[in-house]
Amino acid sequence: MSLSKKMLREIKINRTQFIAIFLMAFIGIFAYSGIYAEYYGLEQTSNEFYAQTNLADGWVYNTDFDESTFDKISDFTTDVDRQAVIQSVADMENQPDITLHFIEKGTISKFYTTEGKKFNASDASGVWLDTRFAEARNLHVGDTIKLEFNNQTIKKEIKGLGYSPEYVFETSPSSLTPDFSTMGFAYLSARAYPEDIEYDTLLVKYNISDKQFREKLDDSIDYLSFTKQNDHLSVSKFADEMAQHKMIGDVFPIVFILVTFLTLLTTMTRIVSHQRTQIGILKAVGFKDKTIILHYISYGFWPVIAGAVLGLITGPMIIPQMFYPTMTVSYSMPSWNPGFDMSFVYIAISLVVLSVLVTYLSCRRISKENPANTMRPKAPDVSSKGMLERSRFWKHLNFNIRWNIRDAKSNKFRALMTIVGVMGCVALLIAAFGMNDSLEELKSWEYDDISHYESKLLLSSEANPLELYYILNETDGSFIMQQSIEIKANDEEDTVTLLATNNTDLISYTDSNMNPIEIEEGDVSISQKLADRFGLAIGDKVKWHIVGNDKWVTSKIDQIHAEPIQQGLIMSPDTLEDEGLNFTPTNILTKEKFGENYDSIKSTTTIRKMEESWDQMTSAVMMMVYVVTIVAGALAIIVLYNLGILSFTEMEREIATLKVLGFRTNVLRKLLLTQNVIFTAIGYVLGLPLGLYFMTLMMNAAGNSLYYIPSLTWGNILLTAVITFSISIGVNLMFSDKINDLNMVEALKDVD
Amino acid sequence: MSKIIEFKNVIKEYKSGDHILKAMDDVNFTIDEGEFVVILGPSGAGKSTLLNLLGGLDSVTSGQIIVNGNHVESFNDNQLTEYRAKNVGFIFQFYNLIPNLTAIENVELMKDIVDVDIDGLSVLDSVGLKNHANQFPSQLSGGEQQRVSIARAVAKQPTMLLCDEPTGALDSKTGVLILNLLQDMSNNKNTTVVIVTHNAILAEAADKVIRIKNGQIESTVVNENPKKVTDLEW
Repeated sequence: MSLSKKMLREIKINRTQFIAIFLMAFIGIFAYSGIYAEYYGLEQTSNEFYAQTNLADGWVYNTDFDESTFDKISDFTTDVDRQAVIQSVADMENQPDITLHFIEKGTISKFYTTEGKKFNASDASGVWLDTRFAEARNLHVGDTIKLEFNNQTIKKEIKGLGYSPEYVFETSPSSLTPDFSTMGFAYLSARAYPEDIEYDTLLVKYNISDKQFREKLDDSIDYLSFTKQNDHLSVSKFADEMAQHKMIGDVFPIVFILVTFLTLLTTMTRIVSHQRTQIGILKAVGFKDKTIILHYISYGFWPVIAGAVLGLITGPMIIPQMFYPTMTVSYSMPSWNPGFDMSFVYIAISLVVLSVLVTYLSCRRISKENPANTMRPKAPDVSSKGMLERSRFWKHLNFNIRWNIRDAKSNKFRALMTIVGVMGCVALLIAAFGMNDSLEELKSWEYDDISHYESKLLLSSEANPLELYYILNETDGSFIMQQSIEIKANDEEDTVTLLATNNTDLISYTDSNMNPIEIEEGDVSISQKLADRFGLAIGDKVKWHIVGNDKWVTSKIDQIHAEPIQQGLIMSPDTLEDEGLNFTPTNILTKEKFGENYDSIKSTTTIRKMEESWDQMTSAVMMMVYVVTIVAGALAIIVLYNLGILSFTEMEREIATLKVLGFRTNVLRKLLLTQNVIFTAIGYVLGLPLGLYFMTLMMNAAGNSLYYIPSLTWGNILLTAVITFSISIGVNLMFSDKINDLNMVEALKDVD
Repeated sequence: MSKIIEFKNVIKEYKSGDHILKAMDDVNFTIDEGEFVVILGPSGAGKSTLLNLLGGLDSVTSGQIIVNGNHVESFNDNQLTEYRAKNVGFIFQFYNLIPNLTAIENVELMKDIVDVDIDGLSVLDSVGLKNHANQFPSQLSGGEQQRVSIARAVAKQPTMLLCDEPTGALDSKTGVLILNLLQDMSNNKNTTVVIVTHNAILAEAADKVIRIKNGQIESTVVNENPKKVTDLEW
């Protein structure tokens, strides 16, 4: 009973120390579970959404799927549904594009209704509309909408609003991020189709591998193309986004938790050591070892469990909510919930267990000694004179340096922990800043070094060739063709981008050092990232075909170029046509600002707009960078503060003695500061390469489409130093203020 | 009077590297129940070692320590803890109170150790500190702290009180009060009190004086007519 009173009073008196332990446990668990909860949340929410709506395993495209193909394909699928997918224009201001899905059954890739009536595949009177489009256009359930396609118009009542698993990410013709007021999708019953319907899309569910399915598909029916779930634009875009979050989520939380583990370990060991004489007294008066150990274990238990539980609750609640609003700018899902994983709890438990274990071990070590010893303060470790101290040089060193070397030597563990703590925080800051710099670098690489055009015009599929050539001349522009292709090599396959263009000063090609290179007329060049993934070198061959065209082509690789955001092949229009494929331009690039309206131009975007959407696309990752920077800073403050309290307590008597001997406060302040600055400097120097290593780790895990070149500006290296040293010196000043208040008599009494 | 403590050929060595220090070199003596014993000797003679061995805070290198018929030297750690809890009340030069517990809490802390119902207030009353019961050690003077430490020691009703320079940190007037209190414990309550000191004057008040030098017993003298502590010339 009295012992628990003793604990409460001690916690009260040493509250800064206990609060530091509590905060450390809290921040460690907060950051760990929060960052993971964000990533798991994306994964769990999207998986749940895909499962609820029964997202298709694959999409088979053709001009018309009749009953017999439908029957044939049923043999090796678990479910099949047919759709006619048609581009329409809504009869509204600015003529937004609406993709219509005429559904036969509605069992696969189901419409997720959030408002109005549930989707009904036999209700021909209504339309179920994209809720994001409806929001942007202020449309409500009960309104009617007029849609034009293939020279006909249908007018339907909006029966419901909601989401589709095929439109978590919606493509926007004009920018990297969607503009919901210019586009949308709608689900309708096949019966709502005004004439005889031609189903051009088969949605399939199967329980064999994608490859097996593909083989059976090839054997049994005719079709134009097939897209498996992972290659579906919406799915793959969201998967890429998750990969970006995962790369951060995999490195940072672990570092946070490691730094927390280490610091906690030191602190608990030290706290128990400071109680050495009291353990002796308790033993001398007859307390059992068990009682004493249990008493001290509660020191390690309560603050850590309190911090861990609070972190466990608030981390997943707060951190994901900082990201999800920026996510909804680009992605659409009915709900965004933080994920939870039992690993959060296990990590929290292991933090508590570790703290208790360390407390137990150091307490047991002390209580094993006989109490006659324990009641005396521990004799300092006998440190033999090192090389330095024996050298002639030693005598010439000033007192400050000599004292600090001696102190570090006799408190090796504390010195080591300070260095490791600083190192961890520096590594976190460097990795976070490096992410920032690398993203910036990527952006300037793409939009300054590679792209030299001002406007990019998207050509309409029914463009008038004469008009196009007129525009080309007027703008002094250049045609390019950008197409999705499926590529195969070395048993790997993926959907990437083909860029067909004549050599033009509007686009530069670069190598992986971002230096300009030439792609000779007639050469086929593959992007570095793709070549690395597939294990390809110059001279190797790849098989590929344009999505929507089943003619496979084999090309020899003549060149490797590096491209930050678009992986795939580059060749000239002539080379493309030599392979027997048509060069059908998709865009015009021009240095001019293009503002005219032509029927052949679907939309126009500028470099500025593309940069803006790039910023928007990377906003979640940048957010992560800020969060990590702040949490790393907070952790650094607590770690250093905590170690500061420890060393001050330990040096109190020594400092008091020096003060009694007549050292001025300023000299003593400098003494403490010197030690701190040296340790911080060592931690900083060691933390730099570690941070760079974390950075490369993250970038290697960054998904398939972005080609990062790890970079870090001198400015940020300097900024990290400024942050680290300010924290270190700031914390130190708080302690050296205590030198003034130090009561010499108090500190020196009880000396045996 | 019956023999309660016996040291037989006790040797205590401390080793540090190749160096061996003999702190107790073949020490023999006995103490009777209720005796007020003073152990005298210069600094470094081995007084504190003797007390630590007797109190079960340290273990002998060889020899026997028999207390109440039990061989203390053969006790394991658990038995030693039990022995300290039941038999020994320690009083240290620097009081060694738990700083975060009040006077009364320091005394009642002993409830956690022994199955004795302790009325902390009445024990504090017996050392004259009833009015300071709720003060923390840092709020008490040295003499008051030492009285709390005596209260703490006697609260569990031990076989013996072992006092290591109990007045070493106190002024002489306060020291007399403390020693008087200890003598009363011996005379009135039949508690065995062993005091280690380098203050030879106290010898006149002792029932038995053991002088020790260089880890050996120099002399053991039984005083037929011990003086009252308060009658000594300080």
